[in-house]
Amino acid sequence: MVAELKELWRFRELLWTMVEREIRIRYKNSVGGFLWSLINPLVTVLVMTVVFKYLVGNQTENFAAYILAAYLPYMFFQFAVMDAAQSILVSLPLLRKIYFPREILPLAIILSNFIHFVLALAVFFAYLLAVYLIHPGVWPFQITTLWLPVLLVVNLALAAGVGLAVAALNTFYEDVKYIVGVILYLMFFLSPIMYFSENVRYSSALQGPMGDLVYRLYHLNPIAALATAYRKVLLAPQAVYVEGRKVPPLPMDWGNFAVVSLICFAVLVGGYALFNRLKWRFVERP
Amino acid sequence: MSGSPAIVARDLVKEFVVSHSGANSLKTTILWFRRARVETLRVLDGVSFDIARGTCVAVIGKNGAGKSTLLALLAKVYRPTSGVIRAEGRIAPLLELGAGFHPDLTGLENVFFNGVILGLSRKEISRRIDRIVEFSEIGSSIDAPVRTYSSGMLARLGFAVAVHMDAEILLVDEVLSVGDLQFERKCIRRIEEFRESGGTIFFVSHHLDTVRKVADRCIWLKDGRIEADGDPAEVTALYEDRMGR
Repeated sequence: MVAELKELWRFRELLWTMVEREIRIRYKNSVGGFLWSLINPLVTVLVMTVVFKYLVGNQTENFAAYILAAYLPYMFFQFAVMDAAQSILVSLPLLRKIYFPREILPLAIILSNFIHFVLALAVFFAYLLAVYLIHPGVWPFQITTLWLPVLLVVNLALAAGVGLAVAALNTFYEDVKYIVGVILYLMFFLSPIMYFSENVRYSSALQGPMGDLVYRLYHLNPIAALATAYRKVLLAPQAVYVEGRKVPPLPMDWGNFAVVSLICFAVLVGGYALFNRLKWRFVERP
Repeated sequence: MSGSPAIVARDLVKEFVVSHSGANSLKTTILWFRRARVETLRVLDGVSFDIARGTCVAVIGKNGAGKSTLLALLAKVYRPTSGVIRAEGRIAPLLELGAGFHPDLTGLENVFFNGVILGLSRKEISRRIDRIVEFSEIGSSIDAPVRTYSSGMLARLGFAVAVHMDAEILLVDEVLSVGDLQFERKCIRRIEEFRESGGTIFFVSHHLDTVRKVADRCIWLKDGRIEADGDPAEVTALYEDRMGR
């Protein structure tokens, strides 16, 4: 793997060029460009706010911000993996002609999605500020936001690891991307994105030692752990209503996060190893 | 022969796995796992040669004789099943019809992208950009998306990028039919210049006339083995003779 990394480093300029190309292509043919890609999360959040606040009757304050804080990272992960899945297949004609480290293709897509995600986070902060200016209340920015780079690195490692593995496998079996699509959809509901992790912790169905275990396993899922971590780090602790009771917010569980970070880096190493095992066979695919 | 050879091949073997079911989905793999009929096809079967710097080598042979596979092995697209193939210096494959161009990007953006893939840095490309654009005869269309280009323009731009890489080895797979006669002459002139400056050319062709005119050495591949190797006039004559022409 060291040799592969050295080779990748030698081709770093190609990687940057491809990242730049991806971003250019994405925003080339539309006037709104970047803004268009924010429409989806914004509409989702708007719908969720209306549904939860006015139909379900959730009284959580500034619920939209809490959804966004978890939904944007999830969206990044989803798009990075799904785009990476196709990255080798669409470039096969090029791969058959010329040599370059194959991992550059999925990595460029994952990185361009990452840059996009960081821009979306900037918009998220602008949103927080706007809400504060319209409804002055508690100052929305937290000192813990300084942890954000750590979360981003862990998140990127996870996306790169899964993206590389999926890209390699999908080149041989195109079913992979559909399977991954279903898993991602399940992950969305198995992670605290549209609800809070406190909803799981304090759920009456999950009490006692068994409930503790389930909660532990639940938060070993990197996507769930990251969703919670983004919320705890970016936003003020928020009391949550669980089954009609108001429960105090749980603190950020750094121990769990450390374990999850290790899992994410293990996924990265594993995904890259799998990719390297398969990459010479891409061009010989039947 | 000056110094070490530019290209060395030793007992080069390349096998491909041919699957008759075209196992492309998990379902077929699982369902057909027990009776998967996997055949290996030996495309190159022990090929060895040394090519000196500054030589223009032509590879001839029937379709399926392994010519393109040899070129791809040289370009490091494939890994040999066994044996070695080694090239000294930068290799520039002539991409057919601008493979690797993205339709929505402008000609200029694509030149940068293509150049970086071929192993140049952006700075090096910036230094060459004027010459590349001039050579390609694209003119002001260089700032238009390449989807608006004709196939001739695409080919010219691809060729212009490849020949300005200052590579040591140029790989050509049956191209040079890249536009009008005038441009073809220009390409041939450019290739001559490339050779005079000590570059090695490795090309695959079915045009025996071109081979006789351009090459210094000709390798005839038959069923993955070298059938004949030597003076282009002799090898092509033998080839024509054996093919019954």
